[in-house]
Amino acid sequence: MAPSAPSINSTNSRMATPRPSSYRYKSEKRGMTYNIMLVGQSGLGRRTFLNTLCEREVIAPAEPPNPDTANVADPMRFDTYEVNLEEEGTRISLTVIDTPGFGDGLDNTECFKQLQDYIEAQFDEVLVEESRIKRNRRYRDHRIHTLIYFITPTGHSLRELDIELIKRLGEYVNIIPVIGRADSLTVEELATFKQNVMRDIDYYKLPLYNFCWDESDSEALKENREIMDYTPFSVVTCDEVIDNEYGAVRVRRYPWGSIEIDDEGQCDFALLRYILLNSHIADLINYTEDVLYENYRTKKLEVGGFGDQEVDGDDDEDDEEPVAAKKE
Amino acid sequence: MSATDANGLASAQSASGGIGIANLPNQLHKIVTKKGTNFSLMVVGESGTGKTTFINTLLTTEIIEPLEDAARRKKQLDKTVDINIHKAELEEKMFNVKLNVVDTPGFGDFVNNIDCWLPVVDFIENQYEQYLRQEQQPVRKGIVDMRVHACLYFIRPNGHTLKPLDVRAMKAIGARVNLIPVIAKADTLSPAALRQFKKRVMDVIDAQSIRIYQPPVDSEDESTSLRNKDIVSAMPFAIIGSTQEVKTPDGRHVKGRQYPWGVAEVENDQHCDFKKLRSLLIRTHMLDLISTTEEVHYDKYRTTQMKTRKFGEPKPRKADNKKFREEEEMLRKRFTEKVKLEENRFRQWEQKLIAERDRLNKDLEQEHNLVKQLESEIEAISSVNSPNGKFFRK
Repeated sequence: MAPSAPSINSTNSRMATPRPSSYRYKSEKRGMTYNIMLVGQSGLGRRTFLNTLCEREVIAPAEPPNPDTANVADPMRFDTYEVNLEEEGTRISLTVIDTPGFGDGLDNTECFKQLQDYIEAQFDEVLVEESRIKRNRRYRDHRIHTLIYFITPTGHSLRELDIELIKRLGEYVNIIPVIGRADSLTVEELATFKQNVMRDIDYYKLPLYNFCWDESDSEALKENREIMDYTPFSVVTCDEVIDNEYGAVRVRRYPWGSIEIDDEGQCDFALLRYILLNSHIADLINYTEDVLYENYRTKKLEVGGFGDQEVDGDDDEDDEEPVAAKKE
Repeated sequence: MSATDANGLASAQSASGGIGIANLPNQLHKIVTKKGTNFSLMVVGESGTGKTTFINTLLTTEIIEPLEDAARRKKQLDKTVDINIHKAELEEKMFNVKLNVVDTPGFGDFVNNIDCWLPVVDFIENQYEQYLRQEQQPVRKGIVDMRVHACLYFIRPNGHTLKPLDVRAMKAIGARVNLIPVIAKADTLSPAALRQFKKRVMDVIDAQSIRIYQPPVDSEDESTSLRNKDIVSAMPFAIIGSTQEVKTPDGRHVKGRQYPWGVAEVENDQHCDFKKLRSLLIRTHMLDLISTTEEVHYDKYRTTQMKTRKFGEPKPRKADNKKFREEEEMLRKRFTEKVKLEENRFRQWEQKLIAERDRLNKDLEQEHNLVKQLESEIEAISSVNSPNGKFFRK
């Protein structure tokens, strides 16, 4: 199975720049394919998060909502945005899928199924593509590598919506929990909230992305353990850029003070950005391809193929053996 | 104050010749001060919006205690909206207030929140119902008045607009009680965003015909009018709650929230509208809240009820909540099972008794037959013996 994104040697991923290799160089022109999904209730800062992450306005501010239809919830939809980034020499062809409407209705039980269907559809596409006789060289992988889930900063603990989402989607995608609008919590409240959230995650055994999944590199493991102590990451997003004595600083201003977004003492945004776009991008992609996708594939093929999307019946049998060998 | 006034009036009386009805407000003042009053406040909103902290900040005492982890987890599982009533008695300068704070944990917290405002609305109407019934009793002393005088609806500051849940719930609640919308945790919105959010919320409230509490603005006093206008223009109130005292960068000790980047003060009008809301609830408009509840909302309820119901008849119960219907079904099933068991037991008992009776009857019959037999023998003997009766009698 040809990986559609190059795998950077994980043993070197000590928050370091990826090692150049000739194979990588070819796809560098196009950029690494990286797909992130943003999920969370409206008002938690998904859009501004994306804009702050990419350091430019990717999503324009929403139009003012119509007061006459305020009593009816908009159904959830999937908005795709494509951005080309360059992080420390690596080109990333980033696709972000935003899900406005999640959790905003009166009855949100359908939202989970929609998300699951979407993610599975991306897996199915790859499954079909793999088993074609003639594979498309220019095929673009749309599998979701990371799902960033925005938790409401209630200050107490996880809500039913949060728990259900992580429970249902954790086996299909890497979920990284993030506290949106974290500037509504003081330092102590933030610490308590993080503790409570982690306690709930242990209690309900919620399947989050485990930074320590690759146990081969002990140094990276130690670092990953430290990173896991920060989950869920507190995020504050940028309103404006001001100039002070250190240069241009991204801030969010209040009558009682300003938050510097990139200051690690004030929020975890900078750390999260580094993890997402630099240090762990390879890990996240690899885990999706090597573990999550493979599990899905096995399950799907055990059940008996994928119905009318079969191109050639023979190819399925050919594929099953290599998979079985790989599993061992 | 009243003593001097009485004296003053006495002299005024002799001067102007009035009879002294102008002294009534002073008498009223004395009576009200002695009687104290009853105030019920309800807080509605999703968990984590700061309801508990707000109440404790407003009343400067811990009326509601925060829930701990285990209790919170249990609450998440039962998926219902509870109504918790916290009672307190406040006293300030010899004036008593019996305060009731009604909390609604579970509102809007679940994946499926359809009809989650029904328990709230039912509670409000039940209080009216209770009061109505007590009023109709022959003995009206000692009426317990739990009618809700003000309901604070906590809106989560998502920066866009009201959620459909907020719209539906506020519509239902605002039609029955004084509804005061409040923007919770306002320290997460920048001033510009806050202004925009307030405007959007008011737009939706107008467009959807949600009824909110409108305090009276004009009064004889110019400064009061001005202050009232100020209060009204700030609706919906953006609030920050905090019971802790912190030190600001410029050295003052205030109630507020301390962030690494500054201190958001609770009682600073530049930071939030807490003072205005407190004024509305307590200092200036408490009486208006109480009287509008009694004269407008309660009266509306009373009129609609009395038009359709005869005097003294109990209120017809509507179909209940679906969740309760399931419980009811289960209880009914259990009950019928128990009844069946008991009936079986009784039947067996009955059968045993019948069997016993039959047995006894049979014994009786046997005896009876025996007796009959003996009787017939006697007769036989006597009839055999009777022709020769004299012969054998010796």
